[in-house]
Amino acid sequence: MNADSAPPALASWLLTRILPEDFREACLGDLEERFRNEIVPARGAAAARRWYWGEVLRAPIALLQSPRPSPRFAGDSSVSLLAADLHFATRTLRRRPAFTTLVVLILGLGIGATTAIFSAVYPILFASLPYPDASRITMIWESTKDGGRDNVGFTTWRELTDLSRSFEATAAVGGFSGTMTGRSEPEQLVGQKVTESFFRVLGVSPAIGRGFSHEEDRPGAARVVILSDALWRRRFGGDSSIVGRDITIDGNPFAVVGIMPASFVNVLNPAAQLYTPLRYDVSLPYACRGCHHLRAVARLRAGVTTTAAARELEGIYATMRRDHPTDYAGVTLLPVRLQDDITRAVRPALLAVLAAAALVLLIACANVTNLLLGRAAQRRGEFALRAALGASRGRVMRQLLTESLLLSGLGGALGVALAVFGVRGLVALSPAMMPRVDAIALNSSALGFALAISLAVGVIFGLVPAWHATRRNLHQGTGAGSRRTAGGASFTRGALVISEVALALLLLVGSGLLLRSMREVLNVDPGFDAEQLLTVQIQSGGQRMPDDATTWRFFEQVLTRVRALPGVTSAALTSQLPLSNDFDGYGIHSEKHPNPNPSEDPSAFRYGVSAGYLETMRIPLLRGRTLTPQDVAGQPEVVVINQSFAKRVFPGEDAIGQRVRVGDPAKGPWRTIVGIVGDVKQVSLAAERSDALYQPEVQSPYGADGAMTLVVRGGGDVNALLPAIRQAVAEVDRDQPVIRVATMAALLHASEAQRRFALVLFEGFALVALILAAAGIYGVLSGMVTERIREIGVRSALGASRRDILSLIVGAGMRLTGIGLTVGLVASVLLSRTIASMLFGITATDLPTYLGVALVLFAVAIAACWLPARRAARIDPVTTLRAD
Amino acid sequence: MGAHLGEFEQLVLLALIHLGDEGYGISVRDEIHRRTGRDPAFATVYTTLTRLADKGLITSRMGEPTAERGGRRKKYYAILPAGRRAIQASLHALRGMSHGLDTSWGMP
Repeated sequence: MNADSAPPALASWLLTRILPEDFREACLGDLEERFRNEIVPARGAAAARRWYWGEVLRAPIALLQSPRPSPRFAGDSSVSLLAADLHFATRTLRRRPAFTTLVVLILGLGIGATTAIFSAVYPILFASLPYPDASRITMIWESTKDGGRDNVGFTTWRELTDLSRSFEATAAVGGFSGTMTGRSEPEQLVGQKVTESFFRVLGVSPAIGRGFSHEEDRPGAARVVILSDALWRRRFGGDSSIVGRDITIDGNPFAVVGIMPASFVNVLNPAAQLYTPLRYDVSLPYACRGCHHLRAVARLRAGVTTTAAARELEGIYATMRRDHPTDYAGVTLLPVRLQDDITRAVRPALLAVLAAAALVLLIACANVTNLLLGRAAQRRGEFALRAALGASRGRVMRQLLTESLLLSGLGGALGVALAVFGVRGLVALSPAMMPRVDAIALNSSALGFALAISLAVGVIFGLVPAWHATRRNLHQGTGAGSRRTAGGASFTRGALVISEVALALLLLVGSGLLLRSMREVLNVDPGFDAEQLLTVQIQSGGQRMPDDATTWRFFEQVLTRVRALPGVTSAALTSQLPLSNDFDGYGIHSEKHPNPNPSEDPSAFRYGVSAGYLETMRIPLLRGRTLTPQDVAGQPEVVVINQSFAKRVFPGEDAIGQRVRVGDPAKGPWRTIVGIVGDVKQVSLAAERSDALYQPEVQSPYGADGAMTLVVRGGGDVNALLPAIRQAVAEVDRDQPVIRVATMAALLHASEAQRRFALVLFEGFALVALILAAAGIYGVLSGMVTERIREIGVRSALGASRRDILSLIVGAGMRLTGIGLTVGLVASVLLSRTIASMLFGITATDLPTYLGVALVLFAVAIAACWLPARRAARIDPVTTLRAD
Repeated sequence: MGAHLGEFEQLVLLALIHLGDEGYGISVRDEIHRRTGRDPAFATVYTTLTRLADKGLITSRMGEPTAERGGRRKKYYAILPAGRRAIQASLHALRGMSHGLDTSWGMP
């Protein structure tokens, strides 16, 4: 019996609470029978669950509509009271449709926003990863001096695996990409090279076939591969006989030994479609201690804490540092829980957004409480009547509480409906970097959350007005409609308005700061001209590229054809592209200032480029010359560096003519610096670090790069050039795929996706908060005018001018607003530190932002005060006094 | 016999007569749906059945639990003589009231 054919658990549980005992079992049984036998086969699982929920939602209505003359309902039992209260509450709320609609809308907005954000944040920050005992899985990084994290070398991983006792299993993981040829179109596939222990660390095994063996994870072993479920279904039609057969990747045969289960999610690299053994041993040159290109992941033994593991690793690392001082100038080995590791980047933004949603909910609740207080004041006569007929205070409070619970229940239902759309929007909005987006859904935990906050809101914010309404002697109200406002209630309502203004200001400050940061970021000069620039990444590989010369010839032929295309003004090649998550850094060692510990030398982004790259990108040349077509293999090795790097390595002297080594400090030619160019943002617009070194790709110290990016500048719409570029690549070699296509402007936009995500949400919430706060101020003053109508009449009869009346009411509103603004500003200063990590170019206490949003809120408050004040000023003293 | 039947009670009783002794929640609901086009909630059907049982017009017995019902028992309902009398009286009253009227009310 699969889980799909069982009714939703939360819904069944709710029904068992709703249905009376005498037909609970029969009714639940009927529903399940119908669900399994008819609805699921006819409409599918998702529609069937919706049908079941529909039945759950209709149940309480059915029960309310047919009060049963059964012995259990007689007398003063709690069930009959509840039924009667519910019945009465339903009628009361139906009589005031406008009031009810307003309250339900406000609550629905608040609960919907909070639920949507919760369901987005929950799987990322709180739900455990989809592995057995996931909390025991940790990444192991080499931490660096500046608090950064670096990958480990194979030898380091080998040693820590042999020496440590804290881990059940450890694995090293590297990147893998290759072109699969054969049956159909060549396809570029992303995968991972993993040590054979990898799947044991995650605690998953292939659904079909087997994992890797020790023998397969050695240099020179036969090539084997495990496929992801998605790739297996897409390329091989889900045919399990593929296991044991060969597939061709980069021209080499790989034997398929296993297929991963469909449920397997690889959080280390969600895009990975296949896995092959790492096949390293410590004798290989690229297995060195200083080769930082592998990630280490490990599973802690049961009962071992991350702290204990960290202590052990520190000891092991100290030994390594003693034996190999030049390789380990870093600080230590650092275990980090996998969950914390993958969510580190997005955590501050998500928590800030969650807090913003909670603030909106609070404002919504304050508003609703105000509305209920106002209503309670108007209903004093009704309560007095009930008291006269013998209702106790508790009885009246209970009835009011039932009403507020019914309201919050309806608000919660609306909120869930809104959250469904909200979640869809969030997934569409979410930045590409966001981990586990696939797990974002309005699931049972989100529904439980919505239910819990609806209940809490109903109880807490129903109690306040209920308590106020019943606090005074109820019999007093039976006289004329009370003319004096109850002091306590008006104090509470004043306090609520103050808190609404303060909370709204908090949100406005937050979104104001984010907005200004965004503007600052977008004003950052990336260092190149991003307009009308198309970037196309091309992969080369396979047996037809036996050596660097062939690879380079392939790229040169493509470049020559592309430059000849109509509409292309210039084109060039680069091994890495700014703002595209490329990250290729090398240590740079100066001949003039040798460092006794070369691994402490600064590193720079290395760009292996064709001639014309700096010109195509329009990176300004500051001194010396750029790279030319004459800088080829066999000619003197030259490099161009950027300004900040020149200042760092050659402070106060001329960098032109100096010589450096790239990568290995002890080997390789000395390369002469021939030019200095402007700084370029490589990682993100907000990132400080941008040391860069450009060298002719044909003089690359470590052979040709397998993938190069073509940058093409054209007139008009550069996207229109793409078909011709694809054609040019295919004409040179049909088997080399084009893998990443984007305009530079789009990459620039995407690089700020996370900041934009937080900003859009904050702006939305701030807008809602502003509207709600204005509605709150308006509601309270409006109620005040109604209650003081007689007093105002007397005042104008005694000669108060319209202006006096106006200033009386506006003054009252602005007093509350002023206090709220003050409280809000103080709270903003205290809380703004929480979003400091998302700010750029401004401080968290940026005065113009604070003043600006305070002004906006002040203006909105004036407008909200004006309407009731105008009504008060128009009061005719004669009519009001005659009424007495 | 002063029990007046509500409209939905009438539908439920008539459904039980159609179903003989095999009426239970699903079959009663489907019978009503088939003949009137209405789509009542299960809870509505059950509150009505329970009310009719409280009034002594129908009787119920529990069946065997089955896996497809999540291990829950069925509750079968059957109409009692009193129930037959009550529905007869209701239908009789309706016929009396509508006698001599053109019940298409002139609508097409």
